[in-house]
Amino acid sequence: MSSFGRDENGEISIVISTQESQVLINLTEQLLELLSQGESLAEHQDPLLHLVGISDSDALPEDPVLRRLFPDAYEDSASAGEFRRYTEYGLREKKKAHARIIYEALTSQEEPEEISSSHTPIDKGSFKLIIESSQILDWLSGLNDLRLALAVRLGIGGDKSERESIDTEAIHKKYELMLESDPMKAVYAVYSWIGWLQQSLLEEISPS
Amino acid sequence: MALGTATKSDSDTDLKADRPWVCVVWDDPVNLMTYVTHVFMVLFGYSKEKATELMLRVHVEGRAQVSSGTREEMERDVQRLHEYGLWATLQRDDEY
Repeated sequence: MSSFGRDENGEISIVISTQESQVLINLTEQLLELLSQGESLAEHQDPLLHLVGISDSDALPEDPVLRRLFPDAYEDSASAGEFRRYTEYGLREKKKAHARIIYEALTSQEEPEEISSSHTPIDKGSFKLIIESSQILDWLSGLNDLRLALAVRLGIGGDKSERESIDTEAIHKKYELMLESDPMKAVYAVYSWIGWLQQSLLEEISPS
Repeated sequence: MALGTATKSDSDTDLKADRPWVCVVWDDPVNLMTYVTHVFMVLFGYSKEKATELMLRVHVEGRAQVSSGTREEMERDVQRLHEYGLWATLQRDDEY
């Protein structure tokens, strides 16, 4: 399984299989699509408000993943709605930018390189990706958003009302014991793998 | 603006407006402990020790106050924490 590492010259990189890369590409694509949801409504919005990034709507997003990515900032719903109206558009753009960095890094590498002068032997079907230091935080938060999105589908965590009643350990146990044939087992495996990736990147940037 | 015309009720209002606000981060079982620590260090410039202490408080107590200031400052902090996927809210200091 791939993980991030540091090269001799100090650069952070990952050797990733095209299969793993495809999983991340598909997920970031889905996330980008989700983050763009509702934007087609923009033409019905007040164009001036739209221009300055203010939304006509202060309602909680309908999609549970979006609700997880954009939680209420205030306990009282009136202030939370007002905050949302002024900030959600900008936040969506920022999250899209993080996801796009991952997506573009992976898709620009899709064509396997010809036998190059690279000294690092790379398995067939894998490629090496160097992460620019200025993009590490984008990678970390982009991977985190993917995990949050998958967690919603898996029922891990939840919003405040659900949180009390959720036994996270029991949920993890359920997936670990789940039969391989269950499609949710695969979703859980991807969730765990992205956590592992994120952890390996964190270890490279903050040596203990 | 005229000087020296402030009434008692004006200064009361001012005092209320100055009361500090706090930004609170809530525990989310998804976010890795090392990630939460890293975000506190990057966003707030906290030392690794301070960031780790706050992360542990979130983890153990379910929430921690991570910064304080004016309402506008706290809205900005909450916004940046949401950008990085942490679950944050703001409230008046005396309501924490």
